Amino acid sequence: MALDTAQSAPDRGIGRRLLTALWVGFLLLVLTFLVIYPMTMLLIGAVSDVNPVVDGLANFKPSLTNFIAVVGNPNVHSALINTLVACTGGTVLAVIIGLTFSWIVVRTNTPCKGFIAAVSMVPLFVPPLVAGVAWTILGSPKTGLINTALKWIGLDWRVDFYTMWGLILVFGIYYAPYVYMFTASALRNMDPSLEEASEVAGASAFRTLFTVTFPLIMPAIVSGMLLSFVVMLGIYGIPAALGAQADISVLTTYIWKLTSWTPPLYSTAAAVAIILMVVTGILVWLQQKALTGRAYTTVAGKAFRPRSLNLGPWRWLTFSLALIYLFVVVVLPTVALIIASFRNFMFFKDAASVVDMKMYSLKHYYAIFDNPLTLRSIWNTMKVGILTAVVGGVLSFAIGYTIHRTQVAGRRMIDVLSTLPVAIPGLVVGVAYLWAWIGLPGGLYGTITILSLAFIARFMPDTVKALSTSFLQIHKELEEAAWICGRSLVGTIRTIVLPLAAPGVIASMTLLFVLAIRELGSSLFLSTSDTMVMAVLLLDFYDGGNIGKTAAFSLVQTLLLAVLIGLLNWISREVAQTGVGRAG
Amino acid sequence: MMKRLLGAAAAVLSMALGVTGAAAQFGPPELIEAAKKEGKLVFYTANFAEVEIEVIRAFNKRFPEIKVEMVRAPGGQLITRFKTEAAANKLIADVMSHSDRGLMLELKDLFQDYAPPNAADYREDARVHPRLWPAITVGWAIAYNSALVKNPPKSWMDLTKDEYKGKIIGQVVAPSGGTTWTRAMFERQVLGEGYWAKQAALGIVHYPSGAPASDSLVRGEIQIAPLLYNIVYSKQKDGAPIEHVFGPEGVPIIPFAEGVPASSKNPNAAKLFINWRLSAEGQKFLVEQLAHLSSMKTPPAYPKGWDPAKMKVWLPKFDEFEKLRAGWLDEWNKTYNYRQ
Repeated sequence: MALDTAQSAPDRGIGRRLLTALWVGFLLLVLTFLVIYPMTMLLIGAVSDVNPVVDGLANFKPSLTNFIAVVGNPNVHSALINTLVACTGGTVLAVIIGLTFSWIVVRTNTPCKGFIAAVSMVPLFVPPLVAGVAWTILGSPKTGLINTALKWIGLDWRVDFYTMWGLILVFGIYYAPYVYMFTASALRNMDPSLEEASEVAGASAFRTLFTVTFPLIMPAIVSGMLLSFVVMLGIYGIPAALGAQADISVLTTYIWKLTSWTPPLYSTAAAVAIILMVVTGILVWLQQKALTGRAYTTVAGKAFRPRSLNLGPWRWLTFSLALIYLFVVVVLPTVALIIASFRNFMFFKDAASVVDMKMYSLKHYYAIFDNPLTLRSIWNTMKVGILTAVVGGVLSFAIGYTIHRTQVAGRRMIDVLSTLPVAIPGLVVGVAYLWAWIGLPGGLYGTITILSLAFIARFMPDTVKALSTSFLQIHKELEEAAWICGRSLVGTIRTIVLPLAAPGVIASMTLLFVLAIRELGSSLFLSTSDTMVMAVLLLDFYDGGNIGKTAAFSLVQTLLLAVLIGLLNWISREVAQTGVGRAG
Repeated sequence: MMKRLLGAAAAVLSMALGVTGAAAQFGPPELIEAAKKEGKLVFYTANFAEVEIEVIRAFNKRFPEIKVEMVRAPGGQLITRFKTEAAANKLIADVMSHSDRGLMLELKDLFQDYAPPNAADYREDARVHPRLWPAITVGWAIAYNSALVKNPPKSWMDLTKDEYKGKIIGQVVAPSGGTTWTRAMFERQVLGEGYWAKQAALGIVHYPSGAPASDSLVRGEIQIAPLLYNIVYSKQKDGAPIEHVFGPEGVPIIPFAEGVPASSKNPNAAKLFINWRLSAEGQKFLVEQLAHLSSMKTPPAYPKGWDPAKMKVWLPKFDEFEKLRAGWLDEWNKTYNYRQ
């Protein structure tokens, strides 16, 4: 492999250009298969009333009927406004929480930082549907546990999560880990000399934070913000659970109606999805516009040690903040799920009945493990998660490197193509993959591999964007030094880029693993009984109307994920500690 | 000694005959043999997975040699998947079961000719095509939270009373699928043209499907809800404070449509599986253990609280079920101010 790098070696022969063209061609071919082809199928669906496989492309008659119906529908307008309000509010909250905690964990001497770091990622493992259910148990104005407790204490305050504010709050706390992941990684990799210079120049720690630290990690903040906004755009479970009672409709709940009612209206849903894609496209464009023309390099050849700010007695304030966050985000919903999973049924006559132990048993756990599909789904999920993380991680690294570290022709196209899937809502993306890939020869349909391909394609933007932060932070001088010393391009990647970007690579693969395990939209269309995954089984439990089994199964899933993520986190830390960058 | 030997031989013989005789009700011996040889089948269903797991278990007690692999998805997604797989010649289903008879009728050409041994025992009006059979039948009941409702409703008409005003009643929206559309048709055709408007005026909480509706009822978010009886029964089994009545004006029932796709790779196992589900044994199991109803002319069992002398089962006329659907659902949405 050879790429036409900005400071490429003198050898610019025909062979090298040919190899570069082949490499770019290969990436474009992969992206065409994973992205363009399924999206074309979706667009065909959106601009006609045909199922491209059932009706055949010969019957394709373009028509804007679906678009006109959707664009002129006042309910779609209201759903769009609700979506933008909920996602904007949720993102603002997620940035405040995520950024605050990444700073607390990485740059301060707050006690128990490792613990705070580990537990604050927990919301990421919780499927949105389960999060929604947990917060209906907690925050319902009529029967919520919070109000039951407030009443028991004798306080007159009441909470109501069946509102737009409730939706924003739950969005914010559940998607803060996206911002945290990006910003914590950036803060960890940041040379503290600039902050030290600021303080030497007389700036206070607070001013340094807002004038030096946060501006320097702006790519990470913007990436995390964009990703959390876009992920919120595509979430169904939380608005479905909290919004149903108050009739707060968002675009995903609207799309769900279109696809789950009979007959399903996939073409109309695809047209609504196009609106989401336009919103996402505008955001991606804004992100690129905001970051263009600025330098964010903070990892250079100079050795450094991550700086830890001594907060003195204030560290107990940050520690308390962390505890409050953990209590709200982890403890409360987990308690709600634990109660739901062990309680025979979820009716609380009064506060005393919450602690009536006669009402608790292991019956839901017995029931889920009595189901022959449970163990199979766990095993399949692990297989598909690992395959997706490894293959998707490698592909994203290749794409990210080509986009950010080279000047090859076609890299802009690769960037755009790899970002496109972020815009397709999960509820319609599954049918796009089904339409696109069902005709593939070689018995791929109905296998773990096809599920994995769908997840790699669907979450490629998340992984590539997560890696971009790492690539943007590595100064070119490090690679140049390797080339001067006679290293080949592959050798430079292996010995310089990969070790420096390792924490980011592992974080991206972890993210991919988590997202793959939670993904429902594509699994619903591509899994069979042999390849049943946990997300589909969870929906089965939920659809069966059994909140106890749903809670029990989601706790099993969360526990499993937490163990695996803990393991990956540990590996990541080991890799980071032995990394080249900090050793100089 | 000889007596005892003869007695034992007679017992073994009668047991063998009994088993053979019992098995015979599910199909001719050659079908059973061929099904056992195939040894497995793939079952597509829109019914609750947990219900079907129990049904498969019961089937496997009778025929342990046949492994049933289930693919379960919500109705809309299942139909899309089935049609797409069939068009691409990748259909792996040996049995397809769906609650929306209208949608299944559109796919009739994808199914092969099939009839169970007890075909004559089934109501004609529960079937939409000779290839499709109502192995699963569910029915609507009026459920209420007995810990909260002091004066429970006794009929469908009670659900329009002023005393239940203010988000006390919840219901699954009519456009949700074939089951809810059947309920909405029943309300308008049997309970009267003004029923929807009277009920909508009370302030009704809407749910996209039965799962969140039943969950809300148990938790007390709502106090009364029309729900499918099998969902109500599962809550009652858990000990939840949920009671039900079958409306004296009628019980709207929904027979599913089930058939063997023409492309089935295990057609004998598939037919034996549906034969068992449609048999008196299978239907009795579904009614008694899983709170379903039966579309048999003379059901082998009745659910709790069901008086066959008094209960009126209501089935929509199929041509109206199809013809009225779009227009009436549109009116339903307007009446209940439900977003479309």
